[in-house]
Amino acid sequence: MTLTQFIKKVLFIEILQGLALTFKHMVAPAITRQYPDEKREPVPGSRGLHALVRNPLSGKEKCVGCGLCAAMCPSQCIHIYTSEGDDHNKVVDRYEIEVLRCVFCALCVEACPYGAVALTEHFEYSGYTREEFYYTKERLLENWDKYMAGAKGEEYFEKFWRPKSIDFKPSVKELQTKERAGK
Amino acid sequence: MTEMEMLIIVVKTVIIVSVFMLFVMYAQYFERKIIAHMQARLGPMRVGWHGILQPIADSLKLFLKEDIIPSSSDKPIFYIAPIIGVIAALCSLAVIPFWEGLGVANLNIGILYILALSSVGAYCVILGGWASNSKYSFLGGLRSSAQVISYEIPMGLSLVGVMMMTGSANLSDIVKAQSEHWFLWYQPLACFVFVMSAIAETNRAPFDLSEAETELVAGFATEYSGMRWALFFMAEYASMFVMTALGTICFLGGWNGPDFGIFAHVPGIVWLTLKMSACIFIYFWIRATLPRYRYDQLMSIGWKIFIPLSLANIVVTGLVKILWIAK
Repeated sequence: MTLTQFIKKVLFIEILQGLALTFKHMVAPAITRQYPDEKREPVPGSRGLHALVRNPLSGKEKCVGCGLCAAMCPSQCIHIYTSEGDDHNKVVDRYEIEVLRCVFCALCVEACPYGAVALTEHFEYSGYTREEFYYTKERLLENWDKYMAGAKGEEYFEKFWRPKSIDFKPSVKELQTKERAGK
Repeated sequence: MTEMEMLIIVVKTVIIVSVFMLFVMYAQYFERKIIAHMQARLGPMRVGWHGILQPIADSLKLFLKEDIIPSSSDKPIFYIAPIIGVIAALCSLAVIPFWEGLGVANLNIGILYILALSSVGAYCVILGGWASNSKYSFLGGLRSSAQVISYEIPMGLSLVGVMMMTGSANLSDIVKAQSEHWFLWYQPLACFVFVMSAIAETNRAPFDLSEAETELVAGFATEYSGMRWALFFMAEYASMFVMTALGTICFLGGWNGPDFGIFAHVPGIVWLTLKMSACIFIYFWIRATLPRYRYDQLMSIGWKIFIPLSLANIVVTGLVKILWIAK
């Protein structure tokens, strides 16, 4: 032990430094938020409760029942049941998410080619039963209306996810050729 | 002793005990608040303005809690242990002079009396740990017994210097001897040893090995809950209160304040309260800053550093008194 080390030890220099630090923190304002009273604005694009996107034109869900989200889901909490419609189209009968099993990885949002499933910024949900967290298609569509409707929902996909429908959307010219071929 | 004198003593006792109970409640509140702010938190905030009613809510909760007694515990000792602690600490309050003549008893062996009762207070931890019949409590109790025995020696020896300077073990006489200068300036080493030993004696962080949460759950208090646990808690704060009072009286001039201008008209009890609050703040401050010492470190500090230091202090004080002052 050198002399300086000895003097430091005898005079408690390090302990005094520690005391000075804690005193400094005591005078400085605390960083705690009084949660239920003062809420923090959710970060844009944060991953909260699930929603199914409502198509503003048809008023129905955008989902076509391809099942990519369910296939991608690592916790396998998405269940999709489809059937054949009147004019041989696919109809989504049931689209259900077990929110309690979800890990909020947002792989479903990433996988969806139509931008039909979304994670809202709403994170304060709680309940007394498991059934409350079993979200059916209707409840998921309600979530969209509640938390993401309007410009916010459009902005959500543009800003944080690039839905593959942008890249794969048929151009007007292609649509016209298709129509002519059909005739 | 006339009936009037006895009545006065009873009134004094009632006042001191009730003020002391308030102190226990609010010392705990301020401890939580101060440590929270030192850790950049807010501490209790929900009960009343800035959680000011939190201690009342806490004590209500502790009163109403179920009284759990382990079936294989040693029941009579289990009941008695927390009561011993509180009684020992409350008895020490009797000799503390809060102002000139304002104490329950003016004992001429005040220091010895307080030291003796603080040793009795150690029984509450040992017996509580023993009677619980749990290995955590038992280890906590044993640690505490060894710790208290080791630290009583340097604490007693550090106060010997003060007694030598005053020539009396009466606490009022010690305060009167400091009307000019505090003994802190004459006995800095003794003061340092006393502060550290007092922290160890009251089982407070960083020497709180008897209730080390990280290894012993809650140490001697593991099996206690509700009101019995609250009594342990009260005993801990009571001994803190007594130790700060003793430190203030022996080293910081007791009820003496600056005697110029407005300060001369401030009652002495205010000065004593201010000094004691500062000492208790130091207790909290140290708790928020330092991690817990290891058990062998604690023992080696006590036996290898504090006891030699306080012995040297006595020798130097004695030499100075004989060679310079007696001439």
